[in-house]
Amino acid sequence: MHSRVPRAAHLSRRSLLLASLAIPLTIARCERKRASIQQVVDLLIESDGDFLAFKPDTLTCPTGALIRLTFHHRGKFLSARHDWVLVLPGQMEAVDKDVEQNEGIIPQNDSRVIAWTPMCDKGGMVMAQFTAPAPGDYPFFCSTPGHGECMNGILHVTA
Amino acid sequence: MNGIWKTLASVGLILTIAAPAFAQQLKATEDVRTALKLLVQVSNDFKRQISNKNFARIPHEYMEYTEAADALRAAVKDEPADFKAKVETRLKAAVAAYQKVSDMSGKETDVDKLMAEHAKAVTAMNSLFDLFPAALRPDPNLPPPGRGGRRG
Repeated sequence: MHSRVPRAAHLSRRSLLLASLAIPLTIARCERKRASIQQVVDLLIESDGDFLAFKPDTLTCPTGALIRLTFHHRGKFLSARHDWVLVLPGQMEAVDKDVEQNEGIIPQNDSRVIAWTPMCDKGGMVMAQFTAPAPGDYPFFCSTPGHGECMNGILHVTA
Repeated sequence: MNGIWKTLASVGLILTIAAPAFAQQLKATEDVRTALKLLVQVSNDFKRQISNKNFARIPHEYMEYTEAADALRAAVKDEPADFKAKVETRLKAAVAAYQKVSDMSGKETDVDKLMAEHAKAVTAMNSLFDLFPAALRPDPNLPPPGRGGRRG
């Protein structure tokens, strides 16, 4: 008799203690989960038919978002291939010049390049997936030799 | 004197009315406009590759020029036979002129000489363009489509 009452009281105190620890931990875990869910943004960009221009030539996305970009080569007549290459501000001309002698192929380890799609034939579609960088204006272009001068645009990354 | 001015004004008026009317007579106006723009675009690509000394790309530009020429052939396929024949003659001459630039680029690395040959090809292309109404001819002084220019 003596032993039963304090034992029950002891258990309920332990439960209270555990609950008081568990509730804040659960809330904290939920917050962490919510923060780790990355916003996903789908962007579509096309070539202006066979002309050397992107349509649209300006894109916008929020910083930190997971960008799924689709490029559609809408050419019908010319066999010119296109791609979409996103680079750090002020680096477009230098990257374009560096890849010119290699048919515009982007090297894997170029730190000036943020994202790129594979080369695409007329009528085809290619994709790139990347996390939007810090807020700012980032140039993109087609790296086929001679195209970047006309075929370029800006990705506005907002805060 | 007054009569001369009246005559000139009349001729001007007739030309102003006749040019768009001729443009409307073409069966596929937009296709013709696109094909002519493509020819100019590829011609400008030739020029860019020459000035960048990227000679290895020039045969590829020539291939694209022949594709743009095919686009023009397709655009005029429903036109009267005599007009198509005129287009074909001048188009062949233009394609041959660009082929000469392409062939030259395999051996010649003198930018000035290649540019001079390219200028001859442009003349041949302009002769082709003369067959079409001014309203359909691309303005070579216009900036390229899209944003154009270096931006970063």
